[in-house]
Amino acid sequence: MTQLSDLEFLKLSKGQKFGYRLGRFFTGIPKAIGNFFLKIGNGLKKAGSAIGREFADIVNTFIHGDWKTKLSFFIMGFGCLARGQILRGLLFLLFEIVFISYMILSGGYWLSMLPSLGKVGPSEEYNEVLDAYTTTYHDNSFQILLYGVLTIFFIIAFIYTWRVNVKQNKMAEKILASGKKLKSGKDDLRSVVDDQFHKTLLALPVTGIFIFTVLPILFMILVAFTNYDGTHNGYTNSLFTWVGLDNFNTMLSWSGGSGGTQSYAATFGEVLIWTLIWAFFATFTNYFLGMFVAMAINKKGIKFKKGWRTILVLTIAIPQFISLLYVSKMFAKNGIINGFLLDMGWITQAIDFFGDASRPWLARVTVILINIWIGIPYLMLITTGILMNIPADLYESAKIDGASGWQQYRKITLPYMLFVTGPYLLTSFTGNMNNFNVIYLLTAGAPTNAAASSASGSVGYTDLLITWLFKITMGAESKYYLASVIGILVFVVVALISLIVYNLLPSIKNEEDFR
Amino acid sequence: MKKFLAIVMAAIMVLSVCLTATAELAGEYDITIWAAENAVDLTKKQVEDFNATNTDGIKFNATVEPVSESEAATQMITDVEAGADIFSFASDQFARLVQAGALAKLGAKAVEFVTANNVGGSIAAVTSGDTMYAYPMTADNGYFMFYDKSIIPEEDANSLEKLIADCEANQKFFAFDLQGSAWYLASFFFGTGCHSVWQTADDGTFISVDDTFDSDKGLIAAKGLKKLVDSPFFLSSASVNEFNSGAAVVVSGVWDYEAAKGILGDNLGAKDLPSFEVDGTEYHLGSYNGYKMMGVKPQVDAVKGAAIHKLAQYLTGDKCQMERFEALSWGPSNLADQASEAVQSNPALVALAAQDPYATVLSQVHGSWWDIAKVITEDVKAATDEAGLQAALDNYQEKLASLFTLSDDVKNGWTIIGTCNLDDGFFFTDYSNETRSNWTDDIPMVKGEDGIWKSEKAWPMEAGVEFKVRQGLSWDNAFPADNFKVEEAGTYFVTFDEATGTVALVAE
Amino acid sequence: MSEATAKRHMGLKTSRAISNTAIHVLLIVISIIWLIPFVCIVLQSFRVENTGPVGYVMPKVWGTDNYVKLFQTDFPRWYTNTFIAALATAVLQTIIVLCMSYTLSRFRFKMRQPLMRFMLILGMFPGMLSMIILYRVLKDLGLTQANAVPGLILVYVASSGMGYYVSKGFFDTIPMSLDEAARVDGATRAKILYKIILPLSKPIVIYTVLTAFMGPWGDYVFARYIAFGTSAGKNVAVGLYDWLNKDQISNCYTMFCAGGVLVALPVTILFLFLQKYYVEGVTGGAVKG
Repeated sequence: MTQLSDLEFLKLSKGQKFGYRLGRFFTGIPKAIGNFFLKIGNGLKKAGSAIGREFADIVNTFIHGDWKTKLSFFIMGFGCLARGQILRGLLFLLFEIVFISYMILSGGYWLSMLPSLGKVGPSEEYNEVLDAYTTTYHDNSFQILLYGVLTIFFIIAFIYTWRVNVKQNKMAEKILASGKKLKSGKDDLRSVVDDQFHKTLLALPVTGIFIFTVLPILFMILVAFTNYDGTHNGYTNSLFTWVGLDNFNTMLSWSGGSGGTQSYAATFGEVLIWTLIWAFFATFTNYFLGMFVAMAINKKGIKFKKGWRTILVLTIAIPQFISLLYVSKMFAKNGIINGFLLDMGWITQAIDFFGDASRPWLARVTVILINIWIGIPYLMLITTGILMNIPADLYESAKIDGASGWQQYRKITLPYMLFVTGPYLLTSFTGNMNNFNVIYLLTAGAPTNAAASSASGSVGYTDLLITWLFKITMGAESKYYLASVIGILVFVVVALISLIVYNLLPSIKNEEDFR
Repeated sequence: MKKFLAIVMAAIMVLSVCLTATAELAGEYDITIWAAENAVDLTKKQVEDFNATNTDGIKFNATVEPVSESEAATQMITDVEAGADIFSFASDQFARLVQAGALAKLGAKAVEFVTANNVGGSIAAVTSGDTMYAYPMTADNGYFMFYDKSIIPEEDANSLEKLIADCEANQKFFAFDLQGSAWYLASFFFGTGCHSVWQTADDGTFISVDDTFDSDKGLIAAKGLKKLVDSPFFLSSASVNEFNSGAAVVVSGVWDYEAAKGILGDNLGAKDLPSFEVDGTEYHLGSYNGYKMMGVKPQVDAVKGAAIHKLAQYLTGDKCQMERFEALSWGPSNLADQASEAVQSNPALVALAAQDPYATVLSQVHGSWWDIAKVITEDVKAATDEAGLQAALDNYQEKLASLFTLSDDVKNGWTIIGTCNLDDGFFFTDYSNETRSNWTDDIPMVKGEDGIWKSEKAWPMEAGVEFKVRQGLSWDNAFPADNFKVEEAGTYFVTFDEATGTVALVAE
Repeated sequence: MSEATAKRHMGLKTSRAISNTAIHVLLIVISIIWLIPFVCIVLQSFRVENTGPVGYVMPKVWGTDNYVKLFQTDFPRWYTNTFIAALATAVLQTIIVLCMSYTLSRFRFKMRQPLMRFMLILGMFPGMLSMIILYRVLKDLGLTQANAVPGLILVYVASSGMGYYVSKGFFDTIPMSLDEAARVDGATRAKILYKIILPLSKPIVIYTVLTAFMGPWGDYVFARYIAFGTSAGKNVAVGLYDWLNKDQISNCYTMFCAGGVLVALPVTILFLFLQKYYVEGVTGGAVKG
């Protein structure tokens, strides 16, 4: 697709503009991929030369440094201590002591076991006198994997700290040589609340994210390359071990991989398509209807504004596991919805909303409709404030020009809203793709999709990837490795969508634009 | 002199064994027990009783937590270490728990205790391969039919077709959890004489399945099934609370009796499942009859383990089973308790007993079977003709076969299988285990560079030992056609020439 | 005013009146639909005659039996657990989220963009599987089963830094010139935060507290995974949900509803009073988020 000049682009209608952007995006993919690899190449090159420079610097520091610096290479923080920066020096030293003792006491063991994930499984012994079996547990694959990874992180952190320690010595020498004074412990403490304040603020959140998000995700990715499942739980029955790309082969092969009538890849595709459809409708029905309700309540002349809002907000206050379970009961074949419809004479026999596999779309549409019930209050709250923020004079001038309500909405409200809530829409879309609660509590995936179900667990027509993944882990065989593979694939899909949207909505890209 | 010494030594050993066996168990132990919520108080009391009455000087400080029988297995598997020392669960979870290493094996005396006191089916239900892993606790985990007498005339309750017609005429639901659980679905198939029998090894792994759901009989069952699921008043549920919401028939079990009684009062009918008719023949619906059992978590400390086993035996003994029956109406698996008059006159247990001739004992079933079989209902519902029904069964069969899908190495590899001579250790894959039976275990062979398959080591063989060499663990390709017979005792390698199909022995 | 414009004015007025009536009717219908499940749950909680699920809505015999019985079970314990978790999460999570968002909004440092991008990518992984490993990590720390409450708080709080978007958006709306003026006067960064920014941030603080407080009440999947096997470690969601088990539902269904009403109570009250701030916070955040 040829690139248009700015002027040509502006001449296009809205739809054409969108089409143009879309086209540009897709025609740009090959180039983007090429660029990506080029970037990786360049990045590697840069990284290589950076490492080279670092090494040269380290060696130079050692050769040209004084004895304090030289000793600091082995006893971290020695230079600082010797030069009177007691606080820094002690921290460095402490870290080194902790690191070395950790490595000796347990880190070494975890590292050495990491390639095999354990060698000896549990053993059992019969005690004839007591007429009882005793079990002795040995290696624990799970812990080996977990602490092995942690140890590697610890080592990286140590190398980084050591490097900082070396750098500090070099700097200190320079500063002293130029006749200035080094920072005292007091200065250090002040910087913690002043120019280094951001590090202080970030320390806790980032540590938390690291241990409770990054580590589990990394672990999950690694599990996809093992055979960790119910029969290899790594401790009380069999150890698990590395299996390379086997699980990806199983998941992505089209030829009867799941052992049923349908391969995993086909099931994945089916569930993925529904997940996308669901995310799309769940996001946009809520968005527009929520906005509509907010506008209706905001409208001049509407009474009890606060009352309406409060009623809607009540549904947020009840936890979903209660309200959704109740709603799912309401939609049962003998629930009150069917009872009402039958009493009214609108239907002659009960509708099986969630149990009729021959009409999967009935269940799907119902789920989307119920999701509106859940979502509107949130959207109503969010949009209420934004709607009030739209400058009133825009509407005044539109009225003077004789614009109808619909025109005002299309020309003023909607563009403003879309601009402001663009990023929200994206996160809401990806959030809906992983909306476990609604599906799990409402239908648990029902109605069952007979063709897609396999030995790894039954799959339903309303199952999202995330509930499918959950069913696999909680299923009879607990195939954690397979769930991990799906998890990784979900990530790939979400990342891809985000990338596309980011490229199509340039307004999201530059946060500084909002200032 | 030597002999005398040996006798004295032996006497001392026996004596010390006798002394320590009782003395060693004495002590206080902290344990956790998981029981169903309504059984928590009773279990606490029973542990107190045990503390008061046992002669070994054992005292348990037990924490009894409410964990339902359906949850116990999942939670044990999540983390065996954090699980309870004694926990109760239903028989469908048994195999999973054994595989997860969450159940301690029973010692020889415990096995005797279980075998002597419980009904046969319950013994099979706690056994995998030849090893026993749990103590039977109830024999009531089967299902039958509750119905509303004010709607269903008693004479109609024997026929599925009439029941459906009555329900439809009265705009009432027929609740049978066929979409939700294969446990209920199996009813139709067992009714026409199909079976599904699984072979397990000692460690809980599944070796093979003998399943006839995909057969002519299965097709008849599918036709009967279709009659019910096609009715607009079919409801996939197994809760007697549906009587509150417009149901006239609910297929459920003993555990729901009190609740059903509470809802329907005198109108409650309980009886065996009805019959259905296909092509002029009547088939009485079958059912699964399961058991509840108590398991002991594998213990690191032998003494504590032995003490816990003592407690588990007490808790599943005749006294405690009777107490449970009296307090909770749980039907006992203990033979003496079963014979008591009170048990024999309980209406729910009577209905269960009426269903018993048509019931299949639930012993070991592959964990994935429940998910695989469950979808038959959906397929049958979607089917429009007989071919569709057949396709549903074929689909099931295919998924079933996939449970035993072998890797290419195994599929193409040759193995030796035959009689084993227990004394000399012929054909052992596992020397530590003395209970291997004949013709069940395969010994792998390795392909040499000359293309000849050969056993990995030489085996001592007696004259008369018989075996075959087979490919892919299947009898489709097995040589020689008649068994290979060892003529002269010796220690041999077994070789096999794939090209000619000849089996030979090579002396070590 | 000419006759024509007067007429048009009248027409406008009547048409507005018609549309307003229509909207009122619509709002009433919406309110009814939205309230049905809520009302049903409340009604069921006062039913005495049958403790299982039933096919009708209006209780035949009214009473507070279910609430009384509720307090003879472990429910008070679960409620306290959840309340403590919610309270602690509300405080700690607010601190963490504000630290994170304030930093990302106010400071420009080398790792800022990479950090934000990294967190965006992290957010794309489904969190479901983390459950298994978080359980193990907490277990090694001794924070599972009976000690599940501190464990839950730790997990809720630890990763909360990732949810910085809305409050960062809010901070972005506070002009940087305020900071700069204060810097000129020699205030440290920390002083600027709590002397100047925080007083302006009441809506976003309340918004963050409110959302953080609400989370623990509904957490079912994870809370169940780390508290299994002990009644003492359960939160309300897990405890109540277990009553829906096939052995329990006939006896406990109305208690389940009563418990649900009590769970909804604190959050509802908070919402009624703090709704205004919630809207302001989320508006400020979404505009820039």
